[in-house]
Order: sequence, then C-alpha cells, then structure tokens
Amino acid sequence: MEGKKTRKRLQANTALRQIITDFYAEGHRAKAEGRPVIWIPPMNGLIELFYAMGITPVFPENWAPLCAAIGTNRKNFEYAAKRGFSGDLCGYFRNNVGYALDGINEENQPLNGLPAPDFLISFGAGCIPTMKAFQVMCDHFKVPVFRADLPQVAMEKIEKRHIAYGVAQIKRLIRFLEDETGLKFDIDKLRQAVIHTNEACRLWDEIMALRSTVPSPFSAAEIGIMFVMVTRHGTEIAVNFLKDVLREVKEKVARGEGVIPHEKIRLFWDNIPLWYNMQLFNYFEKWDAVVVAETYTSAWSLRLNPDEPLESIAYKSLVSYPLVSCVSLNKRIELITRAVRDYKIDGAILHSNRSCRPISMGQMDIGRVLAEELSVPSVMFDGDHMDGEKFSMAQFQTRIDALMEMILQKKRAS
Amino acid sequence: MDPKFKDLVNRHKEIAREGKEKNGRLVFGTLCSYVPVEILHAFDILPIRLWGDGKNHERADTLLPTYICPPARNIMAMGLAGHYDFLDGVIHSYTCDATCGLFNIWCRNLKPAFSFLLSPPYMNTDEAVAYCIAEFKALIAALEDYTGKQFSAGRLRKSINLYDAARERIGAIYQANRNGAAVRYLDLYQMNLALQVLPIETVVPFYDGYLSNIRMSPGKGARRRVMISGSVVSDPDILERIEALGGDIVADDTCLGYRLVRERVPPREDPLSALAHYYLDRPPCSSRADFPARKDYILKTISAFGVNAVIFMHQKFCEPHLADHPFLKNVLTEKGIPQVQLELEGEGLSGQIQTRLEGFFEMLEAG
Repeated sequence: MEGKKTRKRLQANTALRQIITDFYAEGHRAKAEGRPVIWIPPMNGLIELFYAMGITPVFPENWAPLCAAIGTNRKNFEYAAKRGFSGDLCGYFRNNVGYALDGINEENQPLNGLPAPDFLISFGAGCIPTMKAFQVMCDHFKVPVFRADLPQVAMEKIEKRHIAYGVAQIKRLIRFLEDETGLKFDIDKLRQAVIHTNEACRLWDEIMALRSTVPSPFSAAEIGIMFVMVTRHGTEIAVNFLKDVLREVKEKVARGEGVIPHEKIRLFWDNIPLWYNMQLFNYFEKWDAVVVAETYTSAWSLRLNPDEPLESIAYKSLVSYPLVSCVSLNKRIELITRAVRDYKIDGAILHSNRSCRPISMGQMDIGRVLAEELSVPSVMFDGDHMDGEKFSMAQFQTRIDALMEMILQKKRAS
Repeated sequence: MDPKFKDLVNRHKEIAREGKEKNGRLVFGTLCSYVPVEILHAFDILPIRLWGDGKNHERADTLLPTYICPPARNIMAMGLAGHYDFLDGVIHSYTCDATCGLFNIWCRNLKPAFSFLLSPPYMNTDEAVAYCIAEFKALIAALEDYTGKQFSAGRLRKSINLYDAARERIGAIYQANRNGAAVRYLDLYQMNLALQVLPIETVVPFYDGYLSNIRMSPGKGARRRVMISGSVVSDPDILERIEALGGDIVADDTCLGYRLVRERVPPREDPLSALAHYYLDRPPCSSRADFPARKDYILKTISAFGVNAVIFMHQKFCEPHLADHPFLKNVLTEKGIPQVQLELEGEGLSGQIQTRLEGFFEMLEAG
C-alpha cells in the first residue's frame, strides 16, 4: 500500500518538486557554510522571524509526510520502537523521533535527509506528540534549546492578553537567537516577511475559493501545495509559487475544466490525508466524485498586519493549532458548515485518524451536524495519516461505496 | 481508615446533589487538577473532579473514538448515563489533548449552563505568572457574570487557607508513610480523591483524625518501597494487588497525588498572585512538563521517599506518559532502580496486569 502516487493534474507540481528539493538543499548548504540551522515545530507562526534573521528553519514534522510518501517511515517506526516508544503514539512522533535519533545516521537518504540542528525549540504548545517529540530531540541533540511557551486558546477566545504574552515570548526568543548566533534582529525585515506571509495567505484563500467552482479545478490530491505554507511563509518563494498556482487554476476555471471529466459528486475530507497513499483520492473518480475541500487546508486562512509584525506572528502562532484541532469544537464545526455551503458539498469523509487525536475527537459531533443540520451524508473510516498498517483499503472502499450510493440516491430523489 | 470517610468519598456525587438541592449551592465539574478550585470555592461553588474507575466506557463510543484513553471515555460514559446531571458548569484547564477534546464534546452534548477553558502558561517566569493571573481574572469575570456575585479577595484568601490546610495534612500523611507509619496507599488514594470531590470543609477533620491515629509499623521495612507513575490511576484493585505482593506504595507521580500536595500556596498580599505561583511552582504534570522537569520530580521524590522500585501505570493511548516513558526508563536504569510498565485498558486488575506484577515482584525478590 505504501508509497503509491496520485495522478496530479496541476502543472505547478513540477515547480513544487523543485521548491521541495531546494528547501532541503538550502538546509544542507547552510550547515556546510556554517550558518545556523534550527529545528522548529510546525505551524508555529515563527517562520517569518527565522527567515528575517537569516536562520535556516527545518521542520521535522514536515519531513514526516515525505518519509511516508517515500516509504522510509517504516524504518523510522522501527527505530522508535527499538528505543521503547509505544506503537500507540502518533505516527509523526514515531517517525520523527525514530529519524532524529537513528535514521538521520543512515547513508543515501532521499534529499540527503535533514541537516542536524544547531538549536532547538522545546515546545510548550501545539499537540502533545509535537511537544514531546521536540523534548526527545532536545534530550538527544546536545545543542542550545529555547523553551517556548504558548498557551492553548480556543480561536474565538483569543484576546489581547494572549497576544501580549505571545509577543513577550517572541521577544525572549529574539534575545536567545541574537545571543546564540550573533545575528541582529531587524524589525523591518520581519515586517517584510509578514507582508509575504499575508500575501501568501490571501493567495491561498483565493486559490481555495476557486474550488467552489463547478466543476472543481483541482482536488485534495493537490494538498502537497501546502508545503510552501508550512516551510516558505515569510518568503517570496511562497508568494511567487502561489501566484503561478492561482494563474493556472484561474485558467482551468475559465476553460470550465474540472479535475475529473464528469464531476457529479463533491466531497469534503476531514482530518489529515494518508500521506503514504495519496492515490486514495483517485478512488472517488469511479463515482465521478472529487474532494473539493478539507479541514486541514483551512489552517492558513488568516490575515496578518505588517504594521504590527510581532503581534501578527504571535497571533499566527496562537491560531495555527486550534484552527484544525479540538481546542474549539464549535469553531471547527462552524468552519465545516461554511465549507459545506461554500463548496456545495454532497457528502463528507471523516478520517478517524489514530495518529491524530486532537483532530479526530469531535468527528462524531461533526457527523451529526452534517446529517441533522446540513442534510449532508458522511462516512467515517479508521485510518492513520502515517502508518499504513493501521488502514484497511477494503474497509475504506466498502464505506466509500456505501456513501456514494447514499449520495446518488439522495440526488435521484431530489 | 474511618469507614465513614470512605463512604463519603464513594457517595461524593450524591453529596454534591444533596447539597445543591438543600442549599442551592452550585456544583461545577472539573477535568484536571490545574483548575484553580480555590477561585470556585470563593464564589461558593462546589468543585467536583469528574472521576471514575474507567471500567464502563462503551457508552462513550457514540461520541469518542475507541483510541482515546479509558478514563476519558469513562467520564463521557458517566456523563451520558446522567451521573453528573446535577452539574451547573464544567471547567477545564488545558493539559492533554484528550481531556481538551473531552471538555469540548461534553459541553456540546451535555450543555452545562456554564463552561470555561482556562489556558495556563507552560513556564514559570514573571511574565508567565502575570499572564496566569490575567487568565484567572478572566475566569473570575465569567464567574461574576454567571453567579451575579462579586469577587472578594478576602473570601479567596479563606478558600486558599482551607485547601492549603487539607494539602498540608495529606502531605504530612505522605511523610508519615515515608517514615514507616502504618499508612496504606489505598487510604492516601481516598484522601487525595476526597480533596478533589468532597466539600473541602468536610475533609480536614477526617485527615486530622487519620493523622492522630497513625502508628508506626514495625514490619514496613521489609517491604519494597514503590513509586507509581502515570496519569489517571483510578483502579484501587491494582493498588491493592501491589500491596498484596509485598509492595509499599510510598510515593506517586500521578494526576491525583503528591505533586498536588507537596507545595503550599505562598504567602503573598495578592491572593491571585499567590495562587498563580502555587499552580506554576508545583511539579508539572507530563502534559505541561519538559523532560528535565520530569526527571527532577521523579529523582527528587525517589530520593526523598527512599523508593526502590517504580511501577509505571500507563493508560492505553495516553500520549504524554507514553512519550515520556523511554526517557524516564533510562533515567531509572542509570540509577539502578527496577521498574515495570503496566498498560491499563480500563479493565482494572486484568490477568495480564496480574502476571506482569507477579513477575516484577518475583524479579525483585530474586535480585
């Protein structure tokens, strides 16, 4: 099952492959040239700060989907198991810990692997597996560690005091980075990085909104484009790439060209995809169905204010995790309800993901809201975004086929 | 232990319900020991920790995935079965992802009149204390709004004193146990639980009664001095089995135990500042701690209590503790302290757990 590739339809994927290669090469180049490399947690909103200071960020969590796609995840799981980590822990955790502790020493790694960190952030925020994975890494790599602190606040409850605390933590981080690297922080460079991020988020929203077109110009199989939203925020690379994506998608919309030839069913996907089996998104095509919206891609639907760069990245840090997790179930339901209406959704697929409890908790409530308030049928299947052994294709197909029949019956009746 | 006390702990839900019916006292459920119960008490609200033995969780399957820890599923199941239908509110303080999810799902489905998610800081710096105070003030504002009562610093001081007095007594019982008194950990478990589920005014006399009856136990020296470590440990039958096999549980590292009673609220003019210091100064739980903090608490407690064996009691799917485990195991191995891991699947003293415990104690005997 592992390592299967989906059939991509956006030309932008050629450029994306290069962006991915360049990103990892840049880390190795920085290391070779003696420039600082920092390993940081994903989706933490501070990328702009590192780019503004000339520090190369590396995201172990972003490495995990690549490992799953390539197939090295299994080896990393084995390493984690040998170190005593339970198989019940999140697959990102097991992959990243296995890789950081042992896999990193292997020869001939795809993309040359990750450059070892010069600094680390020990995380107080985000989900527990992310926080703990960084603690394992901090214990393992004998490098200076910055202990971060960011409270978990439901998105709709974020107030000035939370932002102010986030800003105080960022100022503390700036002092740490200046002391450790000798590099100087420049607020104008951060402002410029925030301008890039803001533009990337705006472009992202515009691209995603075009998926509301019938037929949809691209499907969830293209979710890989979010690589730039995770790793290249704060840079022109993300902005330029997204401009190209937007142009291509707009052209497809203008031509009335859908991702599949005869779109009949429009689907919503909740939770992280199965990184080792992106081909799964092609399965819907036999029903003339396409996944046109997801929970995960909404994580970057935000705006920053370049006039307040520190406050902006503090806000981004605060919302990144709650946006897609269960810190606020009501907010998540609100987001899905909006997506169902905006994207003209016929049915929803809820991936009950053993590797992500924060996103999986609340899915039964979501299913009920879909059925009772939105009259949208949904189906839930058991899976795991990193570990193919916790996914059954047969169960998935049975569930999806039942959902499709239900949707078609409903369509016929109406 | 006074059987009356055990009976009160067992009947804590009934007591809360009766108190509400008789005196109109509001009752709020809490999901974590990081909820500042003193503030609730200062508003004359009875805080009651949602707690169960984790054995009847199937009913929760309509709302929670099966790969969530058994205690969370059990609490949800009890809620759905109406065991907590007398609650006026639910408060959570963000610790692990599973309890945060549970809090959200509970609120959505059981619709308490009042709900609040507190977002405490992870660190213990001056900035973190100031932020924590601001969080407390937000809670106070919400409570003022809900109850129509005005916050009183004086009342909070009295509440703090009551809780501190109770913690001091339990701390003294831990120390007596350490020093060879005839204390059973099962008694300590009941006292720790009472602190969370009974009206605080009622518990101190029982603690005092227990302390005044403590006698030395000459046979204690021959027993293994055990520390238990895990999140929610709510299976008295497992604790009983450890004792029966020759273990004397003298210390713990759990959601409901020594970490909560080791420290006192420091004397400060501003009671909110004092309270913030207490919650941030005390040894953090796995969900809020980094590895150095975990190591510090485990080793200091092992040293202070003369622990010579550790039993990890891990709830199935408990990510914070499962992630800490290899690190802590290495820490113990370096110190030459034997340890064993039990995986709790919500079935109490299962055959597998019995076998592991028996094997562990046989190994200790042989070693």
